[in-house]
Amino acid sequence: MPLAKSTADHIKDLAQRYPSKQSAIIPALWAVQHEQGYVTPEAMAEIAEHLGLPASLIEATASFYSMFLTKPEGRHEVVICVNAPCMLRGADEMTAYLGRALGVRDGGTTADGAITWHSTIECLGACGGAPMMQVDHQFEENLTEERIDAIIERLRQPVAVAAPAPAAASERPKRKAPAPRRTRSES
Amino acid sequence: MAAVQTDQVTLTINGQSVTVPKGTLILDAAKKIGIDIPIFCSHPKMAPVAVCRMCLVEVEKLPKLQPACAVYVADGMVVKTTTEQVGKYQKDVLGFLLINHPLDCPICDKGGECPLQDQTYQYGPGASRFDFPKAHFDKSVPLSDKILLDRERCILCWRCTRFSEEISGERELALIQRGTNTIIGTFNDEPAQSNYQGNWTEICPVGALTSRQYRFISRPWDLDRTASICPACSMGCNIQIDARSNRIGRFQSRENVAVDDSWLCDRGRFSFPNFQRQGQERPRVRRNGSLEEVSYEEAIAFTADALKHAGGQVAGWASPADTNEELFLFSRLFREVLKSAHLDHRSGVVADAEPDDIALPIADIERCDQVVVLGGQGVIDAAPVLHLRLFKSERKGVKILKVGVTEGKRALDAIPAEAQAIGILATEADKQAAVDLQAKLAKKVKGSVRRLIVTTGPNGRGAKDLGILPHQGPGYASLNGRAGRGRLQWPGAGVKGLYVHESSPLHGFVPSDAESMWLSTLPLVVFHRFKASPLDEVAHVILPGHAFTEKYGTVTNMEGRVQRIRRGIDAEWVREDWRVLQQVANALGASWAYESVEEITGDLVRELPPYAAVNQEARVLWSEST
Repeated sequence: MPLAKSTADHIKDLAQRYPSKQSAIIPALWAVQHEQGYVTPEAMAEIAEHLGLPASLIEATASFYSMFLTKPEGRHEVVICVNAPCMLRGADEMTAYLGRALGVRDGGTTADGAITWHSTIECLGACGGAPMMQVDHQFEENLTEERIDAIIERLRQPVAVAAPAPAAASERPKRKAPAPRRTRSES
Repeated sequence: MAAVQTDQVTLTINGQSVTVPKGTLILDAAKKIGIDIPIFCSHPKMAPVAVCRMCLVEVEKLPKLQPACAVYVADGMVVKTTTEQVGKYQKDVLGFLLINHPLDCPICDKGGECPLQDQTYQYGPGASRFDFPKAHFDKSVPLSDKILLDRERCILCWRCTRFSEEISGERELALIQRGTNTIIGTFNDEPAQSNYQGNWTEICPVGALTSRQYRFISRPWDLDRTASICPACSMGCNIQIDARSNRIGRFQSRENVAVDDSWLCDRGRFSFPNFQRQGQERPRVRRNGSLEEVSYEEAIAFTADALKHAGGQVAGWASPADTNEELFLFSRLFREVLKSAHLDHRSGVVADAEPDDIALPIADIERCDQVVVLGGQGVIDAAPVLHLRLFKSERKGVKILKVGVTEGKRALDAIPAEAQAIGILATEADKQAAVDLQAKLAKKVKGSVRRLIVTTGPNGRGAKDLGILPHQGPGYASLNGRAGRGRLQWPGAGVKGLYVHESSPLHGFVPSDAESMWLSTLPLVVFHRFKASPLDEVAHVILPGHAFTEKYGTVTNMEGRVQRIRRGIDAEWVREDWRVLQQVANALGASWAYESVEEITGDLVRELPPYAAVNQEARVLWSEST
């Protein structure tokens, strides 16, 4: 699926902003992910073309950073911390329970396409609320089995009807709305 | 003297004092005094990355161990490479590197020449302390039709990815994923296209990247290694013929900084199957329409007799893969004995030939400030290793202009008048365009303008030098109006016989349609060759000869460097080509008495003094003046 013209134009613009074209790879990957929900090899090849870089470099970057998705995933993304403080407060049990509650393993997506358990993760800096997990860039702390059930219940709700996203984009199964602080405000 | 000293630093390594230029790595300073520091990721042709941590050494006053491959020497530095702490770190680093390594040395092609294996023996722990399951990946993933990748064996030294980035510039290989999941791969697992992939296997310090052709062929210690020259093109890259039980297993690179800078292209490296011999063969002579096996004596007598009958109307074609010694005798056989000037080594129309005496040496490409590649990719395709030299030069700041053959004007306009040193590269088919551009540039700029013409075949340059041409004698001597006809004119020139000598199927006599018609009507075709070809069907005599990889002699590369090729394969039942040529000549009344190739070389040098370069493997310089 080729990139939308606006995304392609944005990437071409990015290419002009840095002394080294390589510096534009991450913003370009964000742009693609915001448009298509994940980054396909075709999109990587297109980024490479727009930036005048070898495609291998785009894949190397996209695969290095865990925040870039290379395959379609659920509407919501969950990562759960297994670092030491969380572990001391029961992260192992919570991780096992999360798997049972979702019915998928680490890396899997629920059958209804609602939730992807992206991975376990090391410290996110919320040790005060250990054990914790992150749902669509929001922290969920002081986890218990009941809290996990409640969160999953909430995430399984169908997509809100009045989505603020533009009509064209809402036709595609969006994984999530772009995180505001990472979105460039383009004129 | 004082100025020199400021550029030098003196340091102590393991109690020994050593003085080296500023900007030397600890690793290289140690090497200079014979101290071996184990390495995996470091490579002399690439920038340091210090990712494998194998070369950690103690440097006084620095709190932690330092990677010798990435730390530059300083005056008064005190380095220790054999302390207890260094030894412990070497063991630990190897322990880590081996965590996921499958240790399948018994079935690994690299076993026996593997730095990981060797250094584990020398510096490593005797046993693993790692109790958990190893990470597993697919074994033998094809990266292309040439190379297999075993990701379990990979220790992520980045040598191959750095080659792809720094040496070939293609950036096909990359590190995909991160941390323990890191793998080497191509974009989207697409097959690698590079023409330099064989080098990846050579620089891989483990058995991760292996050649499909050499897979399970041999153990390194079973190989007979012969220093020779690559038969594929006129670059003259130095190779090592690795043979097992008298069959070629592979070609490996052999560093010659002036020519190949230690790399080979895949076309050359993987060309060796063309030189495998299929069984024994005897000379054959055509009687009553069919070829009959005869002895060499009989075949030589038949040949001489038939050539005599053809009188002066015989043509001779010698391949641009023959040695200088063979070409020298071939030329004498025609010019002196048969009194014919219908000599050629070319296949198509080539605007030949004056000496390329002001040729740009390959290594000097790096020292130009502007290089015009006239014909662009066509020039690279003719001698692929040139690309690596051009890319290296480009990284050093040389401006490379790739233009089409007809776009010389563009190069002329683009090069500023104050340019100091200009190089022009072109294939011999486009020599005239290169000569024209050279003349125009010489008028425009102050600096020197030199050209490098890519000749055809590993000894096309030698064939020109030695006068395997219809219009010029040895040493480009004028024939004073007694020029012969070139290959393209032979049909229709009243030629009554043809002698073809070829040493390589890569540069054989391939008849055009018109020539095929002509050949079938010729009363005499002598085919003195290594490998059977369709020419066998029209030949009246077939004289088996040695392949490029089976003979001893010298060849001249595109820049005029005379280098020695040696017998990598022993085919002693085949009579040496020079001996057969001599016997044919003697049967026709000559009285040559060469006993060895060296004697022929000696005569050759007496006739063509510039070929004294042969003794230094140096360049033949016909005249240094313009």
